[in-house]
Amino acid sequence: SVYGVLLFLCLLDVYKISGHFGPPGKPKLTSCRSPEKETFTCWWEPGSDGGLPTTYALYYRKENSDAVYECPDYHTAGENSCFFNKNDTSIWVNYNITVVATNALGSNFSDPVDVDVVYIVQPHTPENVTVTVMEDKDGPFLRVSWEPPRKADTRSGWITLIYELRVKLEGEEEWEEHRAGQQKMFNIFSLRSGGMYLVQVRCKPDHGFWSEWSSTTYIKVPDYFPRETSVWIL
Amino acid sequence: LYMLVSCTAVPVNDLLDRASQRSDKLHSLSTSLTHELDSHFPPIGRMIMPRPSMCHTSSLQTPTDKEQALRVSESDLLSLARSLLQAWVDPLLLLSSSANSLPHPAHNSIYRKIQELQEYSKSLGDGLDILSGKMGPSSQYISLLPFRGSNDIGQDKTSRLVNFQFLLSCFRRDSHKIDSFLKVLRCRAAKMRPEMC
Repeated sequence: SVYGVLLFLCLLDVYKISGHFGPPGKPKLTSCRSPEKETFTCWWEPGSDGGLPTTYALYYRKENSDAVYECPDYHTAGENSCFFNKNDTSIWVNYNITVVATNALGSNFSDPVDVDVVYIVQPHTPENVTVTVMEDKDGPFLRVSWEPPRKADTRSGWITLIYELRVKLEGEEEWEEHRAGQQKMFNIFSLRSGGMYLVQVRCKPDHGFWSEWSSTTYIKVPDYFPRETSVWIL
Repeated sequence: LYMLVSCTAVPVNDLLDRASQRSDKLHSLSTSLTHELDSHFPPIGRMIMPRPSMCHTSSLQTPTDKEQALRVSESDLLSLARSLLQAWVDPLLLLSSSANSLPHPAHNSIYRKIQELQEYSKSLGDGLDILSGKMGPSSQYISLLPFRGSNDIGQDKTSRLVNFQFLLSCFRRDSHKIDSFLKVLRCRAAKMRPEMC
């Protein structure tokens, strides 16, 4: 096996000369996000691997301390990510984060990123979005209601969410957007008789990023005669 | 006239609701100011900017996660918010007097926003004074966090911008703390109207 290693090293040199192998390219920290101001995740994009098996490690240092720690959890949030659970997450403290790529021929560092968890909050989408057809004297209207994402602790006031919804008739291009503020319910009027409507909801913390839109909820408005028309016929 | 000025007692939950609207605005303003300054920030500035531990308020012990924050009593949360707000009266004056001559293309708009910051801080402070009168003696305790910065933001162009941005970044963090504490308080007081939270 000594010969094997020697052979491998020779081949390595040959490939180095011919430009096939090299140290890894520079990895890039792409984003860090916290869904609820209690945990957070950072993701990175690998650079080139230099043609060799390459490993990645994330290191961080917290403001006010010189101690450097390695990522506590590379698995929970999937490939090329690091998850910080509640015990590893402090707020109002800057994390200085760097990713290091290493292979047999060397290492490369990402540009470091400074993160304070309070500035990277992006909640999950609102849950249990339900749309029902209601009716009052002017005809039918849609009542859209939803719940905050399960992980966001809005009850204690730790996180404050505002909501936005968008609606469109099936086949139309443009969504019509509505701001619901902190309410978890919204009524939509002046519907087209017999129309199929698509409804989505998203949320945003008081100081942070919008969530993704919830998956589409479909609702069909029953056929009805708009009041004005029926009066006109009479 | 006396009829007009005499106030009826406003319930604590309404006061907290108004206060957190102010603190929300205060933090949003400081964020927009930070971004405005960032747009014309000298690259060297990022290297020489002091670390956040140099902020004059960093000695104040505040919670660092949800679990800690939710364990703090109501009157202590209010005391923390008031201490932080009080600590910014002098530095905001310095920011205000330096903004007009800041070597930055948007210094007029920056100056106006700093004045808005001062107005919101003042009215928030007044509101929190009233609240602390209703919330028991320990909410009236204010930690003194003296600002030892000079009356001058700096001599050359770069150090003026760096010191200004550094102070703002400290204020941004502190206004986020104030806002968070007040919103937790608001939800504790809103037991009668849970739809607020």
